[in-house]
Amino acid sequence: MLALEMFRSIPRYAASRAVGNRMPGLLVGPMAPVRLVTRDEPTMRRPGWARVRPLLSGICGSDLGAVTGSTSLYFSALVSMPFVPGHEVVGELVDDCDDLPAGTRVVVDPVLACATRGLDPCTSCRSGRTNLCDHVTVGHLSPGLQTGFCHDTGGGWGERLTAHRSQLHAVPDGLDDERAVLVEPLACAVQLARRAQVPAGGSVLVSGAGAVGLFAVLALRELTDAGRITVIAKHGHQADLARAFGATDVAAPDEAMRAVRRTTRAMRVAPRDLPPLAQRRVGGSEMLLGGVDVGVDAVGSTSSLDTVLRSTRAGGRVVLSGMPSGADLSPAWFRELEVAGTYASTGDAFDVAMRLAAEAPLDGVVGGRYPLHRWREALDHAHSAGRLGTVKVCFDVRSRA
Amino acid sequence: MKTPVTGPVGHVTRHLLTGALLKGAREDVRMVARGWRWGRRSMVPRSAEPYVLPKQVEPFPTAWARTPVAAAVRDGVQRFGLAPLLRAEVTPTVHGLDVLDRLDRPVVFVANHTSHLDTPLILCSLPDAWRRRTAVAAAADYFFDTWWRATGSAMVFNTFPIERRSGTLSSTPGELLDDGWNVVVFPEGTRSPDGWTHKFHHGAAFLALRHQVPVVPIGIRGSFAAMPRGRGWPVPGRPAVTVRFGEPLRPEVGQGPREFGGRIESGVARLLDEDATTWWEATRRAAAGSTPSSSGPDAAPWRRVWAQTAPPAVRSHRRVWG
Amino acid sequence: MSRPGFVLEVDDRTPPLVVHEGEGFRLESFPRGTRVVYPPEPLPSIRDVDGAIRRALLEPANSEPLPALLRAGMRLTIAFDDISIPLPPMAKPDIRQRILEQVLTMAAEAGVDDVEIISANALHRRLTAAELKDIVGERVFRSFFPQGALYNHDAEDAANMLHIGETDRGEVVEINRRAAESDLLVYVNVNLVAMDGGHKSVPIGLAGYRSLRHHHNSHTMVHSRSFMDHTKSAMHHSAWRMGRLLADHLKIFTIETTLDNNVFPSPYEFLQKREWEWGVRDQASMLAARRGLALAPKGMRHRLFQGIRAPYGLTGVNAGETEAVHELTVARVHQQQLVEVRGQSDVLVLGVPYVGPYNVNSTMNPILATCMGLGYFFNSYRGQPVVRRGGAVILYHPVEPDFHQLHHPSYVDFYEEVLSTSTDPAVIEAKFEEQYATDPWYVHLYRTSHAYHGVHPFYMWYWAAHAMDHVGDVVWVGADRRAVERMGFRAASTLQDALEMVSGTVGRSPSITYLRNPPHLIADVR
Repeated sequence: MLALEMFRSIPRYAASRAVGNRMPGLLVGPMAPVRLVTRDEPTMRRPGWARVRPLLSGICGSDLGAVTGSTSLYFSALVSMPFVPGHEVVGELVDDCDDLPAGTRVVVDPVLACATRGLDPCTSCRSGRTNLCDHVTVGHLSPGLQTGFCHDTGGGWGERLTAHRSQLHAVPDGLDDERAVLVEPLACAVQLARRAQVPAGGSVLVSGAGAVGLFAVLALRELTDAGRITVIAKHGHQADLARAFGATDVAAPDEAMRAVRRTTRAMRVAPRDLPPLAQRRVGGSEMLLGGVDVGVDAVGSTSSLDTVLRSTRAGGRVVLSGMPSGADLSPAWFRELEVAGTYASTGDAFDVAMRLAAEAPLDGVVGGRYPLHRWREALDHAHSAGRLGTVKVCFDVRSRA
Repeated sequence: MKTPVTGPVGHVTRHLLTGALLKGAREDVRMVARGWRWGRRSMVPRSAEPYVLPKQVEPFPTAWARTPVAAAVRDGVQRFGLAPLLRAEVTPTVHGLDVLDRLDRPVVFVANHTSHLDTPLILCSLPDAWRRRTAVAAAADYFFDTWWRATGSAMVFNTFPIERRSGTLSSTPGELLDDGWNVVVFPEGTRSPDGWTHKFHHGAAFLALRHQVPVVPIGIRGSFAAMPRGRGWPVPGRPAVTVRFGEPLRPEVGQGPREFGGRIESGVARLLDEDATTWWEATRRAAAGSTPSSSGPDAAPWRRVWAQTAPPAVRSHRRVWG
Repeated sequence: MSRPGFVLEVDDRTPPLVVHEGEGFRLESFPRGTRVVYPPEPLPSIRDVDGAIRRALLEPANSEPLPALLRAGMRLTIAFDDISIPLPPMAKPDIRQRILEQVLTMAAEAGVDDVEIISANALHRRLTAAELKDIVGERVFRSFFPQGALYNHDAEDAANMLHIGETDRGEVVEINRRAAESDLLVYVNVNLVAMDGGHKSVPIGLAGYRSLRHHHNSHTMVHSRSFMDHTKSAMHHSAWRMGRLLADHLKIFTIETTLDNNVFPSPYEFLQKREWEWGVRDQASMLAARRGLALAPKGMRHRLFQGIRAPYGLTGVNAGETEAVHELTVARVHQQQLVEVRGQSDVLVLGVPYVGPYNVNSTMNPILATCMGLGYFFNSYRGQPVVRRGGAVILYHPVEPDFHQLHHPSYVDFYEEVLSTSTDPAVIEAKFEEQYATDPWYVHLYRTSHAYHGVHPFYMWYWAAHAMDHVGDVVWVGADRRAVERMGFRAASTLQDALEMVSGTVGRSPSITYLRNPPHLIADVR
């Protein structure tokens, strides 16, 4: 079986951390901790498990984070190397799986919770919040928070993976692969919309208009009573899509704070007489008194999180959707912000996402399909997707072209 | 990674280093030179002509050219630059300088005018003491229309501007005479187009009458042949040129500028006749009133020019200066 | 002697002509046949300025002399035009200072104690203390400012605005309470252009948003043909109605002054001269200035231009009843600025200079540049526009998207939010004006900082409404492409390119007219 494998290489990890964001060329080149290998098919000889042949498999921001070493080492204990990445998967069942016959098209909920590990449900799983499962490192399986981070299950970037019945959701016939592959990220967006707890008519700022941000806008518009949704988008096509998905206003990053101030009629304060360096580096930049009810960081960068924290009203809610890096948390303290994380999805999120995938204007969202052996191109494309006018890049796993 | 230098310092440095300053300056100068016709007459757009103010004629100041320092410099230039150059290019002969011995300064020198050689010829003919105290009236509209030409001619020839069109004389020549400067006037007002003498204006006569100074007529022959109008340099072969000073003319009591002017004109004509023939013959013809007209035959233009381009018969090789 | 303005026709003898473009200028070779409208030369100015002011105050038009209006125990308020005029600012002493001093001398002689002096800045930014001092002079400043009796008008101070009434057209008249409740209001004006003065002074300068919205809107501006001619301007008609209503409630003594058009001090005098009359010295200054400007960093260039103080001469001072005074004033302004132009042309070329009314000591942002070009300069006509309906306007300005953070906060948002939604003045007005006008942050900055009011960028855009309605094509030469596109225009790098771009509208060999402004001029199009 052909698969892309991520392996542990301390030098490569260090190198990618050092130059990660500046020279992505290096990372998709010789320095990537990824290799294309032929390895044994993953097998799980336990009830409820079946093999899946991935059809399309998306490249997610967190995958790129792992490749470029920008992911926090916090996660290193939660994965088992080497693993085959890929957790946004639409595939076909190779074996029958309980009620699902072989050949059924399925999407995979990647979370590897108690049910998949043959354990009694933990507190979280018992309460139905499987995405918060406490047992992601124990049981039948090697540690791995999700399919695509676990050595035993395989992942979407290979020709086979194994999945547990609890992870599988059959795809209706009417939904084509390119939409089906978006179900997992959409489910995350559904989770985000729920976690955002937007008050009726409340204003929302979504910082970032990559796949996460755009789907967040879509879900917020569909599932909540949000009033104005302001989106910070860097690139022109992102702005168009954000509007199509339901954003009221779109602003460029350097315009964001002013746009929010305008739409929410907040007061803006900026320290005067500080040298520019201080303004950039030590938090001496502008902020709002007043602002949006809910701020969503869909990027994870320091500047994005900073913007969100500084433009959410006192007592408002900040949702961390991107994998966050450091930011100045003073506003969270001073403005009594509720900082909420949102990770993966749970409950009926996949069913809702399936509906969204069928109904939303998602044509053309998958803007690049690559066979596995062209993984360098694929990762490079994904890395600069925004600039290249693409939202989602996928591996077309069956393709040999 | 190369970080571009930003900020004001970066801007200036970049501007200087990339040659943008020079390039921009070159383009600008070229544009201005073309647009404002450098070195040529400036022009007014046709539609703007009715709105142009009449040009204020500001007489070019030349008093500086008569200060001792300028005079000393000029003396050097004339003696060691102009005179040798003139001798190298033409063969001048001078007659009648003795008249100056019998005169007190100042005087008005009046000469016929056919060539740019005339002024240097006269100046270089004069004895040093006279030359140093001689100024030349030059057309304001030609010699004084640009600062560089005005400065140059005032420096080298001690010229001062004179208005030849309006007929009214600027006050300068009178003031110069009063200050004891000799003044050279070409009463024709311009160089002759064919070498023959043209009508004299009466400015010189008026000047002499007004300030009661004698007029010394000068006849110059051969300078037309040597360097006529339109030539920038004498013809090759050191052509012969004669400069003949005549008896001083003093205004008589009751004589107006017109009559005195007539005497001056005939005085110059006589000198030209004398130079072509002999003093005696010329004197006799003058007495008989049959001095040949210096304005030439009433013939086709080519014949007039032909006659004047014949070099003067040189009978004496005595050099007066040098 | 002052020569009249005239229309030059570019021929092969014409040297390249100066075109202003922001903080710089270029020399442009216009196609042959281009008409270039030159303003008249500066009129002879009054030598005895103080004497002229005294005479105007003692022998006013249609009013009792000022001393007769002053008595002990009265409330006297003096309002004056703010820093938006004249342009560029006047070399000291400011004419307003000289008038204020004489008015105050007379008030002191009459024993008037209760005097307040107000900068009539309407919704403009508050002037800084230094700017106030520059205008009123050190004596007046020291006598009144520390006591708080010299201050900026605050149109958002609800307690200090007085509702006077409504005109017969239902226009709300509301002005500064102190001014409205005075026994006498003296207004000191500088009439830089024909749109200033008259009833535009008190009813606008001392008013607020509730009153201004009746004439400062896109509809009025499209129907002001042009606002440089108050008899044909819907905006002025409204102001006149308000002014007449006010005159019934309040004694107003108007003092109007007119200036010559001597706007370029040494060493920039060459910009004041007609190009073909430039001597060697002028050419050399121009070359030096061009290189200096190219070499100078942006900040230095900005300071250099903003530091220019114009050596204006006073050409007239009139005082008395507003309308009688204004008639005299306008006649004088016309004498200085009117140039007769025969017929319209296909293309109008305008060079937008570095300063407009709203960026003194500040930055000319894209909206202000548009207002200056398509608002003021385009409208600087009498009769009919210089360019025919459906014609093209070509403007010169760098149009850099730089905004003064202190002065123009609402402009940034207008530029980023409003203009990216629509550039149609009427659409913008309906959708956004109210929001911006009542935005508490803008109100706060207007009242306490030095910011233009939230609604001000809208007014700037409305100024250009008539032009946008009238012409088919607008192209900016040498402008920032993105900024210009955001405003719904197009950018070209040279005049040739611009003409090429508009050839679809006006053909291959259009008639072109270039207004050589500044100094200011009004094209009297017959």
